[in-house]
Amino acid sequence: MCPTTLGRTQTRTAILVGPAILGLILSLVTGNEGYIVIIGIYLLVGVALDLCFYPFVIRWQPPWLTFVLAAGEFGIVYVLAQVLKVGLDPFDAIWFFWVSWIMAIWTKIVILPIVSLTWIESGGEFRETGWSIAPDAEPMPIIAAEAVEGPDRVALAREFSAINQIPEGVRDLPAPSGLHRAPGR
Amino acid sequence: MGAVPAAAPRDSTIAVVGDGFGSLIVYATAVYLGFRPEEITIYGPSDNPVGTYQQFAHNLGQTVLRSESESHFLPADWPTFAQLDAFSRRSPQPLWRSISRKYNPGVPEILSEALTVASRLGWEDSRVPTRVGWLQRAEDPAHFVLYDEDAGYLGRARHVMLALGHGPLVFPPALAKAKAADPEVDARIVQAYAPKAYHPDGRYVVIGSGIASINEWANGLDAGAKILALRRNPQPDEQDLNVPRCLFEALGIDVFQGLDFEERVKFLGTALRGTAPKRRSWQERVEHGRAEGRFAEMIGEINQVERGPAGVRIHVASAHGPDPGWLDVTGVVAGTGFNKSVLTLPLLRRLIEFYGVPVENGRIRLRTNCGVPGLDREESRLCMMGLTANTVIPHGDTIAGLKYIGRRFVADCARAERLRRRSFFGRLGMQLSLAGQTASAIRAVRRSEQLA
Repeated sequence: MCPTTLGRTQTRTAILVGPAILGLILSLVTGNEGYIVIIGIYLLVGVALDLCFYPFVIRWQPPWLTFVLAAGEFGIVYVLAQVLKVGLDPFDAIWFFWVSWIMAIWTKIVILPIVSLTWIESGGEFRETGWSIAPDAEPMPIIAAEAVEGPDRVALAREFSAINQIPEGVRDLPAPSGLHRAPGR
Repeated sequence: MGAVPAAAPRDSTIAVVGDGFGSLIVYATAVYLGFRPEEITIYGPSDNPVGTYQQFAHNLGQTVLRSESESHFLPADWPTFAQLDAFSRRSPQPLWRSISRKYNPGVPEILSEALTVASRLGWEDSRVPTRVGWLQRAEDPAHFVLYDEDAGYLGRARHVMLALGHGPLVFPPALAKAKAADPEVDARIVQAYAPKAYHPDGRYVVIGSGIASINEWANGLDAGAKILALRRNPQPDEQDLNVPRCLFEALGIDVFQGLDFEERVKFLGTALRGTAPKRRSWQERVEHGRAEGRFAEMIGEINQVERGPAGVRIHVASAHGPDPGWLDVTGVVAGTGFNKSVLTLPLLRRLIEFYGVPVENGRIRLRTNCGVPGLDREESRLCMMGLTANTVIPHGDTIAGLKYIGRRFVADCARAERLRRRSFFGRLGMQLSLAGQTASAIRAVRRSEQLA
């Protein structure tokens, strides 16, 4: 997937809806607002990274990188949560972050492709399914370039040359075609 | 009892002309979004949407697709094919390979999935087993009238997707002439996509540098034969796509189309340089063959062919180096592929002649929504997909490209028809059901060896 900056922020916001609901419920049940606050910090840190860092260092995002980014984001969120004294002890902050991350990543992998058929093709943006190109844009064919041969590569051509005697083992070999004429024709 | 195909005449909201991969993708996407199967008609004689591809893959000796895990036949992008494979075989290996981007769906597995999707969604029940020979624009309201090749009435459709596939296989002129003139020579000059066998003592020339040719290098070397790879120019005429992944997505195409023409050409020259597939096993086989003196590459063009003591004698001329002259070989394999001119497809040729559809260099100058100029309208679309749409979507003839076009075409139809779309849970249920049945089908297939 090649996420755009807008796609990153839209996706980030969408996948944190579930954890935010969980955080809200936990905050109401326990009376500790730290759960919902930590999701807020996660969203702000994530959006800041999505806007100011990731687009400049990551163009195509391979799946394995998701785990690496999560580990880095955890470090930042954890430190900020401690500095800002959100009211969660370290153990609660750690388990709640990773539960939230698992919810978020499941939303990203499973839910979003069902919600939007072209979410991946659109770089993580929630676009209406439509054509990328303005109808009056000019189409063009694909042409490409390649390297040239080296002088040592024609030895086999010299061996195949009709100037040489044909080795006995090469004479009268069957034709390569696997299509055969019908008998009697 | 197997499925019974539909019968003409049949009116439909969406008609797909063609019975291959493209037809299945459009059909599955349309049903997934909420069209009823009876609103869709597939026109084509084949009762199997993977039949043509399966035959070509077999002849090439192809065992895995070049596509990655996302390119498959379920309507939505989750689960990916690696996830399905891992689930069906209770093995994390496909997931691990997918995470490190070294997973390619096996041909038997992906064809099993395609047949499962086709069977489960009733593709065959919506197929009229007739080739469309003509379609005509009609008004009030805008629609198309379809006829078979004998001018028999087939039915009407509001929107039509032309998924006609490839033109005929093509040989370079000197080879085509020699094949036509001499049956013995004819049997010794074959297409990469045709059935063939290599003799371990044989010496073969393989023409071309695309994916089909590279497959044949490997097949010939595996058989123990000597392979001389011949291509016409230092710069290949046509390139298998191996472009940066972002160019396969909408946003890459946005950026690509935002450039002016010269910048696009410059970009493609950079992006596509060195596109020979870097599959480890292919490279190893070729390097091994080269080290044993059984493989070499050469630039040149065959301009004369006759019978010879080794089977066939060919004359190779080169404008880029020493003239190799006459060569005695057991056979010639042409990886030159299909004739890409739309004029080789009878239906398109008739449309071009009757409606004056603009053609440049054998390609219809499609609108950038893949619409056929002059006939395509927002309220009644006439769209093309596959190789004939490559001028708009560079990877139009890959599974990813077919999905890209198919999804947008169906979305256009849904908007035009004000379709009441299937709910989220309806789509999720359908996707899970298809995934489960696909996993069962994959489990019954022997696992294909990965190449990378």
